Amino acid sequence: MINETLKHIIYFFVLIFIQVLVLNNIRFLGFINPYLYVYFILFLPSSISKDMTLCLGFLLGLIIDIFSGTLGCNTFATVLLAYLKPIFQKAFGPREDYDIVFPSLHSFGMGRYIQYVFYLVFIHQLVFFYVETLSFAYFWRTLLSAVCCSIFTVLLIICIEEFKERR
Amino acid sequence: MRTLIRFLLRSKTLFFFLFLEIFSLLLIINHNQFQRVHFLNSSNVVVGSVYRLSDKVYQYFNLTEVNESLSKENAYLRSKLSKAESEVSFYKQDTSYTGRKEIALSKNYSFITAKVIQASLIGQHNHITLDKGISDGVDIGMGVINEKGIIGIVSSASQHFSVVLPILNSVSRSHISAKVLNKSQSGALFWEGGDMRYATMDEVPLYVSIEKGDTIMTSGYSSIFPEGIMIGTVDEYSKKNDNFYSIKVLLSVDFNLLSYVSVIDYPFSEEKEELEKKVEEVTND
Repeated sequence: MINETLKHIIYFFVLIFIQVLVLNNIRFLGFINPYLYVYFILFLPSSISKDMTLCLGFLLGLIIDIFSGTLGCNTFATVLLAYLKPIFQKAFGPREDYDIVFPSLHSFGMGRYIQYVFYLVFIHQLVFFYVETLSFAYFWRTLLSAVCCSIFTVLLIICIEEFKERR
Repeated sequence: MRTLIRFLLRSKTLFFFLFLEIFSLLLIINHNQFQRVHFLNSSNVVVGSVYRLSDKVYQYFNLTEVNESLSKENAYLRSKLSKAESEVSFYKQDTSYTGRKEIALSKNYSFITAKVIQASLIGQHNHITLDKGISDGVDIGMGVINEKGIIGIVSSASQHFSVVLPILNSVSRSHISAKVLNKSQSGALFWEGGDMRYATMDEVPLYVSIEKGDTIMTSGYSSIFPEGIMIGTVDEYSKKNDNFYSIKVLLSVDFNLLSYVSVIDYPFSEEKEELEKKVEEVTND
């Protein structure tokens, strides 16, 4: 149990550092960045309470925001993600009854896991980009950014999951 | 009553969720309004130090570009030096002239060299963090340039770090007074969002003749930037209405390749502003 907690704390900081120091600087084609840090919320096991998930989402978003100068935007989107995660986990999670669900490619199955990740990441990106521009003035451009960044992020998460499974 | 309490208890997660969302919305709104006073940005010591560390690693990746830009700047400075030397030798002959010249020189702009340790250029809220702060002489409202042209204006500063709002910031809508080379009419330059290579220049009267490829410079009307600093070149222009052009400007600075920049310190900017304010008050009365 303590091992699990420690693992999650390490993941928390490693993901923040990767996001802030590497991924925020990619700017592929000028605007496409993967937002890998949401992966932290996605793989939280179901044993962690909903309130705790919200707290973690808030903290994660806030730290990312402070580093990238978009105060509040990532926080808003990530809290929403943390709120929706248990709902989507129930919808796409394993059909057999387990005590604790560890969301992963292995436990969900390929198709369902991709759907689970894609829907959540897409909602997160959509909310993030519209909150960031604070208007619908650049509707299509913002939508394009959200779609591209989501695809990028989902691909990255699936790669990491594949890698984990191989090991 | 009991049902109400039961309802509240059952949906406490929902309320907690709503509370956190409202809190982050408040953060967004406040951040946009009071960007200058907020400490939760990268001029914060912790955040600044982390970025400085990461920059120590990153700087090895673009050494070629840095070298190139530094050598270009060297060449430019050397050409200025030779000019200055010839001037000095001329003035040495007449010492009474030198005294006056010194006063004129002391009024000039001075430059603080700083290093970009982080550039967040993703969306509309773009900003750049520098490794120099108040203790190095950098202060809010100073202009920032590099050898290719203008970059932006310092928006917040701590002891050792400062944050620059680049011209690429459609949220703050910072307008910069600009003009076409060799024409005296000035216009306002700003960024509409989107492509990071182009900015828009407005309020240029129709009777000014403009051609594609014309150079756009700072006008020197505001004390932030001295006159004649490169901004970019005219890429396209069209009539905005019956009186003014709207010009699409290809920026000369490549914001994806920022390394060393100069912060412009104009010691008399406050004095100039005060004087202008006084005149405004008088004319308003």
